Amino acid sequence: MFCIIAFIVLSILGIFSASNRQLAREALDCVLRRVTLRPCTTGFDEKMKAKILGYVITRSEAGARFLNRYFEPLSWIFFFLLVGSTFFAVRGVYLYYTTGSCNGLNQGGFCVFDPTGQNTQFSGVDESCPVSSEGNVLNLTLEGVDLGGFPKLAGNPNAKSIVFIGSYGCDYSRKAYPMIRRLAQKYGAELVFLYYPVKEHSDYLAKVGYCAYKQDPQKFWDLNDRLFAADKTRLEDEAFVQELLKASGFNAQSVQFCAKDFQTEWVVKQQLAEVRKTNFYGTPTVFIRNEALVGPKPYRVYAIALEGLLYWLK
Amino acid sequence: MDIAAKIRADFPTLEARDGRKPVIYFDNACQTLRPRQVIETIQRYYQEFPACSGRSMHRMAAEVTREVDQARERVAKFLNAGRKEEIIFTRNTTEGVNLIASTLNWKTGDVILVSDKEHNSNLIPWQMVAKRHGAILRIVRTCEDNTFDMEAFEQALKAGPVRLVAMGYTSNLDGVTIPAAEIIKRAHRQGALVFLDAAQTVPHQRVNVRALDVDFLAFSGHKMLGPSGTGVLYGKYRLLEQLEPFLVGGDTVSTSTYDSCQFLPPPEKFEAGLQDYAGIMGLAAAVQYLQSIGYEAIEKQERMLNEFLSEGLEEIPGVRIIGPSDPRLRGGIISFYVEGIDHHRIALMLDQMANIAVRSGQHCVHSWFNARGVIGSVRASVYVYNTLEEAKLFLDSLIKIRKVL
Ligand SMILES: Cc1ncc(COP(=O)(O)O)c(C=O)c1O
Repeated sequence: MFCIIAFIVLSILGIFSASNRQLAREALDCVLRRVTLRPCTTGFDEKMKAKILGYVITRSEAGARFLNRYFEPLSWIFFFLLVGSTFFAVRGVYLYYTTGSCNGLNQGGFCVFDPTGQNTQFSGVDESCPVSSEGNVLNLTLEGVDLGGFPKLAGNPNAKSIVFIGSYGCDYSRKAYPMIRRLAQKYGAELVFLYYPVKEHSDYLAKVGYCAYKQDPQKFWDLNDRLFAADKTRLEDEAFVQELLKASGFNAQSVQFCAKDFQTEWVVKQQLAEVRKTNFYGTPTVFIRNEALVGPKPYRVYAIALEGLLYWLK
Repeated sequence: MDIAAKIRADFPTLEARDGRKPVIYFDNACQTLRPRQVIETIQRYYQEFPACSGRSMHRMAAEVTREVDQARERVAKFLNAGRKEEIIFTRNTTEGVNLIASTLNWKTGDVILVSDKEHNSNLIPWQMVAKRHGAILRIVRTCEDNTFDMEAFEQALKAGPVRLVAMGYTSNLDGVTIPAAEIIKRAHRQGALVFLDAAQTVPHQRVNVRALDVDFLAFSGHKMLGPSGTGVLYGKYRLLEQLEPFLVGGDTVSTSTYDSCQFLPPPEKFEAGLQDYAGIMGLAAAVQYLQSIGYEAIEKQERMLNEFLSEGLEEIPGVRIIGPSDPRLRGGIISFYVEGIDHHRIALMLDQMANIAVRSGQHCVHSWFNARGVIGSVRASVYVYNTLEEAKLFLDSLIKIRKVL
């Protein structure tokens, strides 16, 4: 048993030092012998045990005595710990690759590959993203949500659908949005955009978006791109928004006019209510096929959700 | 100031390195450490005149020839040999034994006497002689405490036509030195030749080959502060002359035709091919270094350490020292085993715990271990640069191991 642990540990250490490589080779020989029910003739296990005891004895005689007495059972325990931790490590790597978090999709907690939790955050540092503390990933749904009135960019025939809930003022939405655009374009997916304002009462941009889309669904996406890329401190400045509208080729005045319309206000309220039906609790929230991804993820995670592990082959 | 304190600075290996304490080197019976003087001599050869000895005419070659000649001279004087041509440079003791075993004109029925605790190097070559030439290998048993049994020897001598007595002068198993002068006298009386394996003697005590009247004697440079893979075979000149050549080829002949050759006289006859000139020079430097320390100082230091270690070991439960109980009879060697604890484990733990280097196993004396039913031992072998502090640490570590295992 000890040989197996030693082999694994020494193989890893062997990457860095030749003497450990030699020991790893001896350990492997020992493992192979043990597997075929022959004794380990190289004396490898004895050698390692003596070395370990020699190390422990200088720190604690009692520890060395204990280790000497229970060496074999301790080896077993270490073996299971090793197997367990290896399983979790492999699982962590897999989950990190596929979901951006070692602990699974939308799960927080420490992840060595993402020590600052970049991939699991969704509330902005400046709290500029709407978040509810009561959110639960499991409640996120598109069922019963009428997506009919929202801006939609058609994809290929039989295209898979991506639904993006985001806010122009939210840093994380701004981070995720271009990736989603790129993704939808690359794989010909259908993209539905659900705007949800940072502060619910300032739904001015929601109205602008609604009116712009109504006026020209094609140009809307250009405007949307500009809104996500623009200096966010100026988004509440109507003059600035007008400039963006113009830049996207809209009749800014007529969009403005529409945005202030009482009817628009009513529709937008309905839409925001519709968005809330998804039970989303943070932006961005992206629905791809059956999955809801909360917070910005690496591009690969969105791509895997859309196209599977082998997305890069397609 | 004791001798160790005086000379330790000469040994680079004994310097602390990378914040680690230096090794406590108790494996001197295997190889000793080397002083700077030896290392620098080797370096001098490679840097200043890395050329052939004897063969070429240029200045560098002349320099090497002179150095090798001087080395031979120095070793000859060191052993008090009659002439420098009696000194053959070899790679080690083993080669010296093999040279004699391969070149004596053996006859069927020749008896070779060896003790029952010979190093394999002084056993296997004779076994081969027995096999190849129909010689008879006779084992002389030692006393119960591993000291030499003169009576048993006398009986063995008288029992048959002994051609050669081949004995380990000082045992690498237990450090016991045999009464060589008396053995040689008795052997010669019976018309036998005597070969002494002095691998563990020359490094530790004065050996005077002429006073001993020994016929052949071999030792290794690496066990006496010299370079690895160097050794010496001494032989009385008239005997060397009679020996057949051993390894043959370049440098062993004065001339050759397509079907014959003219061998050079000893020692050239036995030094085939290009030699380890740096090693030979280093060996001479080691001899010079030993002479500068003096055997009195070496023996005194070893005795002091062995007495201290033996006393300490005897107090540890389960420890059995191999050989006589009087440490003064065991030179610089303390071979012991601890009942119930694997000797290799002890050695590995000492190494890991306190960077103490000892040897464990059967020390190439398998025959003795097999005959006595002892599995193996730990062997601490001290030398002139070892200190009392080191010995204390060794004992402390061993006591800890005993407590834990
Ligand atoms: C007594 C004795 N004889 C012979 C030898 C062999 O020496 P070498 O290996 O230098 O030939 C040794 C080495 O340990 C020894 O101790």
